[in-house]
Amino acid sequence: MAALFCIACTGLMPGQNRQLLYDFTEIPQALLVNPGAVAGYQWYAGVPLLSGISVQAGSSGISVDDLFANDGLDINDKVRDRAVYGMDTRDEFSTTYQVELLSGGFRSRSRPSDFYSFGIYHEWDMILYWPRDLAILAWEGNADQLGRRFNLGHLKTRGELLNVFHFGVNRQVDNRWTLGARAKIYSGILHYRSSRNTGYFLTEEGENNLVANSIDADMRLQTSGFEGLRQILDDDTADQFPALRSHLVRRGFFGGDLGVGLDLGFTYSLTNRLVVTGSLLDLGLMVYHTDTRNFSLRGAATVEGVEVILPEALADPDRDFWQDLVDEVEALVPFEEDSRAFVGFRPTKLYGSIRYNWGQPQSGPVPEPCDCDYRTGGAAGRQISGYRNAVGAQLFAINRPRGPQAALTAFYLRRVGNWLALKATYTADKFTLSNLGLGMQFQAGPVQAYLLADNLLGYRNLAGSRYASFQFGLNILSWKRN
Amino acid sequence: MNFKGILLRMGILVWAVLPAGCAEEQDFDQYQDLNVTPTVEASMLYVEAPERIINQITDISFVQQTFNFDAFAENFVAERVLDGVVTYELENTTSKPLDIRFEYLDDADNVLDTETFAVPAAPTAVLRREVAYGGMGNRSIDIIRNTSAIRLSAANLGDNTSVSSIPDPKVILRSSAKFRIRLK
Repeated sequence: MAALFCIACTGLMPGQNRQLLYDFTEIPQALLVNPGAVAGYQWYAGVPLLSGISVQAGSSGISVDDLFANDGLDINDKVRDRAVYGMDTRDEFSTTYQVELLSGGFRSRSRPSDFYSFGIYHEWDMILYWPRDLAILAWEGNADQLGRRFNLGHLKTRGELLNVFHFGVNRQVDNRWTLGARAKIYSGILHYRSSRNTGYFLTEEGENNLVANSIDADMRLQTSGFEGLRQILDDDTADQFPALRSHLVRRGFFGGDLGVGLDLGFTYSLTNRLVVTGSLLDLGLMVYHTDTRNFSLRGAATVEGVEVILPEALADPDRDFWQDLVDEVEALVPFEEDSRAFVGFRPTKLYGSIRYNWGQPQSGPVPEPCDCDYRTGGAAGRQISGYRNAVGAQLFAINRPRGPQAALTAFYLRRVGNWLALKATYTADKFTLSNLGLGMQFQAGPVQAYLLADNLLGYRNLAGSRYASFQFGLNILSWKRN
Repeated sequence: MNFKGILLRMGILVWAVLPAGCAEEQDFDQYQDLNVTPTVEASMLYVEAPERIINQITDISFVQQTFNFDAFAENFVAERVLDGVVTYELENTTSKPLDIRFEYLDDADNVLDTETFAVPAAPTAVLRREVAYGGMGNRSIDIIRNTSAIRLSAANLGDNTSVSSIPDPKVILRSSAKFRIRLK
């Protein structure tokens, strides 16, 4: 049922790959995915709450249409064939959204090769891998499944709601290199994870009785921030909405869990037409120490029902065999709760690209890269992005509970004067092999708007799409020329 | 390709693939028709009585005991159980014919259902019986829903001296339950 809920919520939207924004250097938010991107502007200020909104969601194994299409098929057959038995443990449901609350950046007056950017963004990210064996157990039960081990390790999920406070430095080292780093402070609001589960549930022929049920489990769910929510929601005497808002805002602004992280990135010009870039994002960890509640199920037991063996069983006429059995199982496989703090690593992301530029530069011919100070006019590095056309390939990888996920993107970028830039992408990943994306940034004077939309073919039938994402934003910026 | 050509092609692409972001007709009411009804199986009761104990008890009834059995009365089960089968298996290697009675009791010790077995003396085949509750069975599933205890009675219809020639003679009762539960 949880999976069906996920499909309903995420059925349109892979996780966290922002291939349209990456290396789209006209957009200041590109610094968030590569702090070492070329930053050609003098300053920018994002419109609060509107400077960067991105939503992504994906389900690699199934779409809303697969289950809810009005096709006359029995939904029970569709769920059994397409979800329960049609998906495997590599399939996932994931959603991410990010909203910039505040963002800005400026070039250093004393050292114009440095560009500083800062801001706060709010982020939700969750992933649930399809718990195949648990789904089969819930769908079929354990009857007539003698000898089958239902793998409890199939349960892998994590999710997080947090605010990120960041400050980045971008430096054009010379005409070939631009380096950048961004420091982050994470303020955690909600977090859950259950990703290191092992064990099995097994039904087999009993040694004494007809069947024996065995469990061997090492399962754990760690949460933070939910207990406070629960208390507020359970409190009927108070006005819940203000209390809820206050609780979430307090935790989002350093009243909850804290963590630190670092982004690193670079741009390197192999020639004045050929450029490689790379970035490593969210190298960081969080310490979950407030409002934590953890649940665990560890141990092994085999049960063959209530066993009464005479004459020993008659020694105590008041003996409660059922309760003894329950107590024995609970002692062997205790379900425990605690509120211990724990540490979690952020899902680290890796980007890389190679780009070939051509076409008449927008502001005069571009000299070959030289070992000269860009401030003296040899600004090759800063003008590389000024070519009218660019084509290239990008790589994205993210660390997920079942190991890294990767995506490959081919792109074409076209600039029209100083007011319009378009980027078209084709991306192949586990969600889809037909992901065409289109991004546009438009400037009118100092006002910049951008809109990036992914998996356009999916828009022909949103319900049938397994992945979608869009990003948009509004900035005020200065290129020195405006 | 000139720029106008590129723009034209991009326009055509957007026009072709973004016809108002449409979606084929969906029927979310189908969710109401979704039935998630797994069948769960587990052993219930295992009773073992050696012949020497039966011989020691001169009373005809050598076992009469009520066992608390809350498995069916758990809210999760009682509210969701649809139908199912209880399977009994009796193995008698003693020299005595036996009469064994299973009674399902509610909280107030009212008898909800009774299952009796007449087991011949050894050598005899293993007696196996399946009793259906709810669904196509002729016994109400409410019996299962309201059961909170099982009373087991076993009577020796033979003598108290004979000993079976089969090694380690005993009577064994095995039982299991297989029930369909509605999760959705």
